[in-house]
Amino acid sequence: MADVHPIQVIDLSKQFPRKKGLGTVQAVSGVSFNVQQGEIVGFIGHNGAGKTTTIKCILGLLKLSEGKISLWGGAPADSKIRKRIGYIPENPDYDDSFTPMEYLSMFASMRGLSGVDEDWMKLLKRVGLARWETTGIRQFSKGMRQRMSLAIALQSNPDLLIMDEPTGGLDPIARKEFREIIIEENRRGASVFLSSHILSDVETICNRAVILAGGKLMAEGSMEDLLGEEHLYRITVVSRKTGEEVEETIPEADLQNRIDALRRDNLPIVKVEMALKSLEDVFLAATGKDSQ
Amino acid sequence: MKAVFTFSLMTLRMLFRKRTLWGILLVILLALAGIAAVPSFDVSNQGRFVLDFGLFGIEVGALLLALGLAANLYPRDRETRTLMPLIAVPLSRWQYLLGRFFGAALIQAAALLVTCLGLMLILLFHKLPIPGDLLPATLLIIVEGWFLLSTVFFFSFFTSPPLNWPLTTMLFIVSQMSVSEFVGILPSAPGLMRAVRMLLPHADVFHIKDPIAHGFEIEPVYFLIAIFYGLCYSAFMLSVALAVFRGRDLK
Amino acid sequence: MRWLACSLALFIVFSVGSGCRTDYDIADVAPEEHLESEDHHDHDHDHEHENEHEHSIDEEMEEAHAEGPSGHVHGAGERNHGTQWFFNQPWAAPFIWGKLFRDALTFLFLAVGIFLVTRRRRKI
Repeated sequence: MADVHPIQVIDLSKQFPRKKGLGTVQAVSGVSFNVQQGEIVGFIGHNGAGKTTTIKCILGLLKLSEGKISLWGGAPADSKIRKRIGYIPENPDYDDSFTPMEYLSMFASMRGLSGVDEDWMKLLKRVGLARWETTGIRQFSKGMRQRMSLAIALQSNPDLLIMDEPTGGLDPIARKEFREIIIEENRRGASVFLSSHILSDVETICNRAVILAGGKLMAEGSMEDLLGEEHLYRITVVSRKTGEEVEETIPEADLQNRIDALRRDNLPIVKVEMALKSLEDVFLAATGKDSQ
Repeated sequence: MKAVFTFSLMTLRMLFRKRTLWGILLVILLALAGIAAVPSFDVSNQGRFVLDFGLFGIEVGALLLALGLAANLYPRDRETRTLMPLIAVPLSRWQYLLGRFFGAALIQAAALLVTCLGLMLILLFHKLPIPGDLLPATLLIIVEGWFLLSTVFFFSFFTSPPLNWPLTTMLFIVSQMSVSEFVGILPSAPGLMRAVRMLLPHADVFHIKDPIAHGFEIEPVYFLIAIFYGLCYSAFMLSVALAVFRGRDLK
Repeated sequence: MRWLACSLALFIVFSVGSGCRTDYDIADVAPEEHLESEDHHDHDHDHEHENEHEHSIDEEMEEAHAEGPSGHVHGAGERNHGTQWFFNQPWAAPFIWGKLFRDALTFLFLAVGIFLVTRRRRKI
């Protein structure tokens, strides 16, 4: 059944009124994709591409201008459905006057969870806040607030984790720990929808990726499909103008033609080597930023 | 309702730890002490004076507490993004609004009861009699305070805190006016003014400081009707606030 | 849900459409006995004036500030002169308490209606 995906977005469009003057700004336009059960889907795009807007539409924080969103076939506003979600917002913040333990206890009560303080201690230990359980959140750094946010998201053992830039601003060790937790949660059975700027993270842990640019869907598919089986080659030539070495990456099919063209132009070829295609290449190609 | 209850407690604890509450409470108590310090002509008149102005002070205190406690709650939640994890997952918008409201209402009521106790102590200190209706009168002011609190929440969903203060204060003043006084503001459009006044509350329902100061007996049934009226109007105001909140995009 | 909105509108028109002037402008709608109650409380001032020499200095000052034709203040729980405004407040006007109760119910009904209608819209 197609409509029981954890997330199904069909022709989503969202407009906002302009801050100055009349008219609207099109933040997202005709976006469709889905997240299937047990997948980790990366959601990538440059700043202002519409990622956070899409996530907020999925969570019911924004009204849709057009289109339809269903979570396990139901409406995002349905409280039973929302109980199955763990959410990490971008740059999360919490009331300064509470400690992590107080926050977790209150969130547990609001969610109707039956955990006790020991459970929340284990959770804080898991996200790396074991020593800080009774410290006021006002003393927390950005990274610690991200960890706090992860603890709250994981508290209910959610079936779906929606993460908006969860590793932004984290150091490499913390990023690695976050990645490991995401993989553990996925193994437990949770589907993950991960919005991130850090393409290497997405490439490492995601099964699929959705690429957004200018509010439009540019590419979508499994990592294998996106990275492709086609080999890429990197040709290094010496620029006639500057005398410096310049690199150019091209698909295998175009390799011979390109070498012939360079020879016709009498450009000295320094080397030709096989290049591994990265998600960055795919992203740049999909968003049209690789023309240079 | 458990979520609302927990969130109310969370709000209560948060407001209890803020300096705003204690600052406003101190100002009200100092004002009450100041009223009692004004020399009067004789003992019976001083009693009336202290009661009349004391209850008026508590009423103004209810307005200050409503604004001080609630005007910044929602705007701050949005600004600091504490709203997102709350609304996105564990709470519905109505649960958020009710939780915040009940938390603030409880702490406002407790603060007003403290001011009532303060007024009683002042009366005792000056060896003045404490009327039996003083506590019920404070209860009415508490209900009026809840109405003001719901008004503050309503305005906070589409205005900034600096604008919330004059708007709520204006509504507080206008709601004291009779229909004919209100129509008198714009006599050229009596129908419109009458229609607008119809939806505004009648805050004079909560005013019993004069009869209490002058020793008149008030029938208990009046207290019940006035409290019911205040609660219903607060519910109406909250529902309108919720309608505005539900229509808003949380960018 | 359209039926709910329509019934809500009808309810408002019928319940408060009678005009709130007659609800709360107590001076306009009060029965005669309420407005004339000041007269019922009228009493013989000459008798009081006979005992004027017994008044303290404070009482004389008090009278000078008091409203009313004779310039004096009555004891607790008694009406003073020229204070009809004081009794044109809801606590002293039992004849509007029923209307007060009806308005409270109207606002409660409106609150429930708005809650349900906006919840329905939000889900869509």
